[in-house]
This record gives sequence, C-alpha cells and structure tokens, in this order.
Amino acid sequence: MTATIDQPLPSAAAQGYPTVASRVRDWAERTPDGVVLREKDYGIWQEWTWSQLWDDVLSAAHALLALDVAVGDVVSIHSEDRPEWIVLDLATVAIRGITTGLYPTNPTAEVEYLLNDSGAKIHIAEDQEQVDKVLELPADTFPSLTTIVYVEPRGVRSYSDPRLMYWEDFMQLGREQREAKSGAVEALMAAAEPDDIMTLVYTSGTTGPPKGAMLTNANATFAIDKIINSTGRIAGDRRPNPDDQILTYLPLCHVAERIFSTWTMVSSGCVLNFAEAIETVQLNLREVQPTLFFAVPRIWERIHAGIVIKLNDATWIKRQVAKIGLGLAQYIGKARVANGGNHTAMSRLAYFVGNPLFFRALKERVGLRRARWTASGAAAIAPEVLEFFMGLGIPVYELYGMTENVAVATTNFHGRVKLGTVGEPYPDIGFRLDPETNEIQTKHPGVFKGYWNKPEKTAETFTEDGWLKTGDVGEWVDETHVKIVDRMKDIIITSGGKNISPSEIENSLKASPFIKEAMVIGDGRKFVSALVGIELDTVGDWATRRGIPFTTYRDLGEKPEVIDLVQKVVTATNEKFATVEQIKKFRMIPKELDHEDGELTATQKLKRSSMVEMFGDLVESMY
Amino acid sequence: MRGRPLLYVDYNKEQSLFPTIAQKVLLAIGALIAISVPFGLVPGFKFLASPGWLQLLVIALIFMIGAAGLNIVTGMAGQISLGHAFFMGIGAYTTAALSGSSTEALWGMELPMWFGVIVGGLVAAGLGILIAPTAVRVRGLYLAIVTLGLVFIGQHLFRNWNQVAGIAELGRNWGPFQLSLWDIDGPTLDLATDGEWFGFFLPGQGKAYLFMLVVAALFLLLAKNLARTRIGRSFAAIRDRDIAAEVMGVNEAKAKTQAFAISSFYAGVAGGLYATFLGFLPPEQWSLFLSVQFIAIVLIGGAGTVIGVVLGTLFVQLLPRLVENFTGFLSDQIADGTWLAPIADIVIKTGSGDFGVLSLDAQGAGLSIFQANTVLYGLLIAVFLIFEPLGLYGIWLKVRNYWKGWPFTY
Repeated sequence: MTATIDQPLPSAAAQGYPTVASRVRDWAERTPDGVVLREKDYGIWQEWTWSQLWDDVLSAAHALLALDVAVGDVVSIHSEDRPEWIVLDLATVAIRGITTGLYPTNPTAEVEYLLNDSGAKIHIAEDQEQVDKVLELPADTFPSLTTIVYVEPRGVRSYSDPRLMYWEDFMQLGREQREAKSGAVEALMAAAEPDDIMTLVYTSGTTGPPKGAMLTNANATFAIDKIINSTGRIAGDRRPNPDDQILTYLPLCHVAERIFSTWTMVSSGCVLNFAEAIETVQLNLREVQPTLFFAVPRIWERIHAGIVIKLNDATWIKRQVAKIGLGLAQYIGKARVANGGNHTAMSRLAYFVGNPLFFRALKERVGLRRARWTASGAAAIAPEVLEFFMGLGIPVYELYGMTENVAVATTNFHGRVKLGTVGEPYPDIGFRLDPETNEIQTKHPGVFKGYWNKPEKTAETFTEDGWLKTGDVGEWVDETHVKIVDRMKDIIITSGGKNISPSEIENSLKASPFIKEAMVIGDGRKFVSALVGIELDTVGDWATRRGIPFTTYRDLGEKPEVIDLVQKVVTATNEKFATVEQIKKFRMIPKELDHEDGELTATQKLKRSSMVEMFGDLVESMY
Repeated sequence: MRGRPLLYVDYNKEQSLFPTIAQKVLLAIGALIAISVPFGLVPGFKFLASPGWLQLLVIALIFMIGAAGLNIVTGMAGQISLGHAFFMGIGAYTTAALSGSSTEALWGMELPMWFGVIVGGLVAAGLGILIAPTAVRVRGLYLAIVTLGLVFIGQHLFRNWNQVAGIAELGRNWGPFQLSLWDIDGPTLDLATDGEWFGFFLPGQGKAYLFMLVVAALFLLLAKNLARTRIGRSFAAIRDRDIAAEVMGVNEAKAKTQAFAISSFYAGVAGGLYATFLGFLPPEQWSLFLSVQFIAIVLIGGAGTVIGVVLGTLFVQLLPRLVENFTGFLSDQIADGTWLAPIADIVIKTGSGDFGVLSLDAQGAGLSIFQANTVLYGLLIAVFLIFEPLGLYGIWLKVRNYWKGWPFTY
C-alpha cells in the first residue's frame, strides 16, 4: 500500500506552506482507509483510519476557533500519549496556533509555571489528576487560561468550575461549528507560513526553570527532510513507509518522540500504536513488534536488565542455551562493532547458528524481532548496552540532537556505526566544534527561532556569527564521527585541576544491570566520589536468590552484601579510567529518585544541583 | 497484522475458536484422518477399519459427548457431579420409551431414534434443572455426595420400573440404530447393517462411526463455543470464585442451573445414543462406575478444555483394550516360554492354582481385567490430580509453554 508521494493532489491548488496538519490532510485524501493509529482499549487495539483522524482534527480545529483561539495563541496539553494528544496538536497547527506539551509527571508548581510562561489559552488535562493540578490553585493564578478540556470524565463530572469542558462536548462544538463555518480551517491552513511557530518544546531544565523553545513549520520540514528521510540511515535505505509500525510511549511533549512518532507518521504514513501505559511498554512492544523504535538509554537499560533477570530465572537447560546464545551475541557484537556495525563472514555464521537457537525467540519476547531501525538518544548510553543489542541482531544506532536544533545534528548511519560516538553530522548541515572550547555548534534551517518570551536567554544561546551553542562538548573520532564528552557545565574540575567528564563514568556504572542511577561528584574536591542508586528489580532479585531478606529500597541498599556488590561494579568501572577519574568512595542513595520530588527532570535526567542539596550530608560524609 | 499474533484489532479474532493457522491445519488433518478411518485408507490406521475397533471407536465418540457434558458442569463451572450416569440413564430410558418397540411388559412408541434421543436429552436437562438448586446450597464434597445420591435413586428406579427398563438384571431392547424422518419402517439412513456407502463397502459399525463422528463433532464444537459466550464466561467466573462472580453481577443460581441443564442435556443425548447403539442394556449399566469413568475422562484429559475431553475419552476407552492386549501378550510369553515368562507368570494368573495379580478366568483370587481397569482408573485419577491437575492437556500445555517461553521460563 505504498502510495506515490509525488502525485499532485486535488487540494494542492490552495495550499499554504506544508505543515504537519496539511500532511495529514494529504494522507487522508490519498489513503482515506489506511490505518494510522491504534490505541489499546478494552483489550483490543482499536484502529483509526486517516480519514477518521483528519475528520477529528478538523472538528477539533473548529472547536478551537469557536473557543477564540487566534493565530499565535497557545494550547497546552497535559496528558499521557493518546490519540487525543495528536488530534489536538494537529488541530492547533492547522489553525496556526501553538501547541505545548506538559509531562504527565509535572507537579502543580511546574504546571503553574509552564501554563503562565507559555500563556496558554486552552488547556487539555487528561484526567482528574491533571485537572486537579490546575484547579488546586485559585482561578486568577492563570490569567490567560479560558478553558480546561478534560478527556477522562471519571471524577471530574461533579466539578463545577466554569472553565471545565468535556472532550466529547468540545468535539461536538467543533462539529457544529464545522457546519456553520465550513472552510474556516481550510482558509487558515492555506495561509500557513514557514515561519509560523507550531510548538513550544520546553527544555527539561536541569539547571534553571524550563525554557520554551519555539519551533516553526520550517523547522519541522527540515527535521523531516534531514532525519526521517535521510539517505543511508536505515539498512537497505528503505525509508519509513505505511507498512511501518511505531510504538508511541515516550512523552509526546519531548522533541524526540514528536519527531520519531508524530512527524514520522505525517511524513511517511506509518502507523502509530499507543502504549497503554509506561508500565505496559514491554508487553505492548511484544504485541506490536514495531519496525521503527526510538528509546532513551533508560529504556534500553531496562530491557537489558529484564533479559538478564529472566534468563537467570530460566530452567537449567534454558540457562545453558542462554550461555551459548549470549556468548555468540557477545562475539557478534564485538565483531560488528569492529566492523562499523556490519557483519563479518564469521559473525554472520555465528548469527546463522544463534538466530534459530536463541536470538529470534529472544527478540520476539522483547518485541524487537521486526525492528529494522532502532535508536538511542536524548542522553548518553553505555556502549556495552548497545553492543549487546547489536549482538542480538537488532540494528541500533546512537544519535544526537537537541530541542533547539530539532534534533538535527548527528546520527550513526547504517554500515558506518562507531560505538561510543553519536555518529556523523547529517550531510549538508552547518556543524562545527568550537576551536577553543570544543563545544558543538550547529547552523541550519532546523535551528529554533528562540526561547518564548526570553530574548536575552535566546541571545545567550547563539554565537556572534549566528551558530547555535549546544552546550555539549564533543570531539572528533577519526575525523568523521563525533563523540560527546559531556555537558559543558557538568564537567568536573578537581582541586588538583584535572578535567573530568562525569557522564562517561556514570554511564559505565549504569551499564551494570544493578545500577539505576549514578552521580559522580568531585568539582573542587580532592578526589572523585559517587552517589549510587540501585535498580530495585535486579538487586531485589539478586538478594532473594542469596536469601538476603529486605524490606524497602533503602533497607536493601544498605545491606553490606549489596554494598559489596556495588563496590564490585565500581571497581570494574575504575579499571577503565585513569587514576584521577577513579571513584574513591561512594554512598548509596537512600530513595528511588523521582520527578515529583525534584531530583529528576521530567525526562528522568538528574538535577545535579538539587541532588547536591538533598543529599548534601551524604556527599560531605565522604570527604 | 501479519506476523504479529498478539496484536488483536477486533474481538472476533481474539476469541476465534481456532485462532492460529497451525491449529486450523491440525484440525483439518485430524478431521481427514478421522473420516478416513472406516475406509481403511490411511497407512498405519488400517487395522482400525475392523468391526471390533470401529465398535470401540463409536462408543468412544458417544462417550465424548457425555464427557463434554460433564466437562461443562465440572470443568467449566467447577461443580463436582457424580450423578452423570443417572442423567445418561434418564436419556437412555426416555429414548427407549419413545423409540423402542412395545411389548406386553414394555412401553415403546416406535418413534424415530433422533426424536427419542433429543427428547431424552431434554428430559435429562429438565431433571438437571431440578437438581441445580442444591448446587447453589452445597459445594464441593457435599455436592458430590448429593449427586452420588442421584445414582442410587436412579438405580432403584430403573430396577423397579420394569415397564420402561425391563426386568431387573435383564434389561430391555432399544429401537433400531437408524435414521429416518418419521416412518420407522423405512430408514433413510440405516446405520446398523453392513452396506455400501460412497462406493465403499462398510460394516454397520463403519456407518455408525461416520454418523457419530458428525454428531460428536457438532456437540464438541458447541461445547467449545459455549466457553466463549457470556454463559460460558459466567461458568468460569463461578468456578474460580462464586462470591467474586456474584459481586461482578453473575447470577450464581442462574449460572449453576444453566450448567446443570446443558450438562444433563449432553448426558441424556449420550445415554440415548449409547443404549440405542448397543441395542440391549441391563439397568445396572447406569451405576457409579459409569460416573467415575466420566470423572476419569474429564480429569485425565484436562478439566475445562474440549481437547482434553477428546484425549481423555480416547485414553480411558482404549485403556481396557490395552490392558487386554497386554495380558494377552503376557500369556503368550508364558505359553512360548520366553525370557519374559517368569515375570509374566507373577503378573497373571493362568490356572486356579497359580498365583497372579491379574486373572484371565473370572474365578478365585486375582483381579479380572474389568477390575484391573477399575483399579487403574482410580490410580490414574489420583496420579493426575496430584501431579498434573490439568490432565493430558496440561502435559501438552507444559510442553507448549516450554517452547513458547523460549528462551525464558516465564
């Protein structure tokens, strides 16, 4: 069912600049009955066709117009991934509004900040939990907010706040308006400009308050051309197409998920399958068996740890098979890493033996059997983890980018993979390392318009000659590939004056299935130390096997046996680093880190400053 | 979606009777083999075309219907019933009264067999509905005892109601095993005598086999289908926890009544067919032993599954034949004086002075083959309940899950 994309369309005459919304309209005209979304509801995957999706987008757009959303007004979405997210996002773009997404884990204080900073006029709160985060505060806290639309009515129906509106009523309003004012949305779409801001993507804010990066229609087009349709990215150069399946599970407010699900869908016509919840991702992966899969390192680490635990729990024969299989995988992984990600004759032979015995079934169980392109990004990942998946025959590529350049920076291309690097810059983009600081800088049409209402912050982000400062320090590997050293501001300078990149050490620790979090400390100190958080599942399993009783996370982390276990991981890591970079002491983090408690950002990145604040005693006890 | 067996996009696919292509292919192959049995065409199965084996297989097919019925009430709805033989007897004697020939001492209306069998099933179902309320009151072992009582009431009734069941210990004749629309004299399908079908010469048992194959397949499919209906789901809910089921809105009394009614209908039909096929039966036939045999089928095969019923019936029905062949084999060993002879001599008893566990003649110490079978059923029920509560199907399930979970264990 691959459609010819170059065909002129009936509506082409009165088109404005192509936006994500107009691309959906084009698909709805081209393949109205093609499946585009699946959402698991009442135990089965309910399907949406392109024409259904476009119909809903049009209704939602009319509803927004009826609620006085004008060109350039902001609509905020506070919800887990679900079709309504996409419908509203596309509807807002269709009427030249601006969408901004909030993370479901954002606590009340951040919701207040984000709604007021963006000046959102319409706010979509998924359910009672999210509605409460707004209604908790007095109405005059949000001067610009006029309507709160809720999708799940449970518990909200009895609320009397006049700003509340049920999703179905919202859509009904849209349908009525569509009859009354037909053509209004189409007219706005025809007037779309490349420079229209389509979305505000808030940076995760590891340091200061989040800043809303303004992305335009032109930015989106550039990301689609450069990333999704780039040549040589996927094996066999088969671009994403309507037969591809994607599992949508990372927050859609993040630029990576937006690119690798929504924008991939609108540009290639592939199918988005919504995971039920973050807890069911592994199950949903198995059901959907996606062909394109983007994950953050945390997810890759979890899948890896899950495989390790389950293999340990298997019966004797299966454990022996697993030993052989993992041995083969290790060999294949190493061979491929040494060969740019390609098979060698010997590794192909090993794969030929291992695939029917072990790999195929294992990939099926974790849901990546049909994956033809998978990637890790948004944070650094330990090379060992990628090597493991490569060894299983899963094509995994590390890539790099940031919100401010719509993630157009570097990627590992098929057949030219270098492990430990984030790959090569996309062809024909402005990409350089600052000669003095080695900071990565980019300049291309994908670079954002600036931070919403923060011109001074915007100015700080650009060099004098107009290059975007990413804040990441990189270095060239073999003059083609780029390795990320660390965030510029995270680099540690010890009291001895040595520069140390903490994330490299942290990732090496986190490559162990037992370690979930690690924070390396040492700025202005005599030696390097670390705060370590264990992975409850794996360490709990390990302790149970050894008959070590435990009650809570904290209790488990303070068991002498567990500390010994972590010490072993730390020692193994230390062997890889120079003496000054070695961790001399570590302490266990006494709780599981959490976004709502402020130790992590919404994207599960460590907030170093608040960590130091919270666990200052622990840190000081080491020095 | 191709290649994604777990991605269900509609309910029909999720709850289809035979969801995978492999299952459909296996079913088709199984059906082909089953159909070809009386024609003696499939190599390796040719011996089954003899009248003796066919007779055994027809009985097995009838037992499958009866077992499918017990499986509904015990396997699906979790209500232990030892009264299955009673319901079979009710079906059998209703059939006799309707389709048997009348004499001075016996009732018989000489109506066609199908009518008798169906009404037999309905009468049994009616009695099942009468019994069901006790199942709402008592559970588990107590229900087993209540239903056990039915068997003894039935025995008493059948023994003394001579107009229907014939003279005690002697029994009566049933109507002819044939299909006709209404006129009993001109059978549309004669299933009892030898003749030519589809260009093949078939013994009467062969014809009966083909007929029973169709009927049994129909009943088994209906039973399998029942499991995915609202009624079937209410049975499962009652079985797993009746109080929880009621909280969810399942009407316990209604569900149990339905389970007993459907189960008894199956039993009645099976009883009617069984008696008509054999032609002559004494009232002792409908005893506790028959009930235990059905319990054995359901438990050995795998409670709650239709494939378990098929496996269990074949196993339990073919077991006596196996024991028979085994003792025959052993006595041959003794006669030939091979190296197995000493062992065989201990196991079987050949003469009156000889020692042996199994005796070939029915006199003196030692178990007869029939008794040996009974002991074996008891042993097998105990062994399966302890070691493999899901029965033969459970063994298959374990094997399948072992590979399904590969390379993990769960």
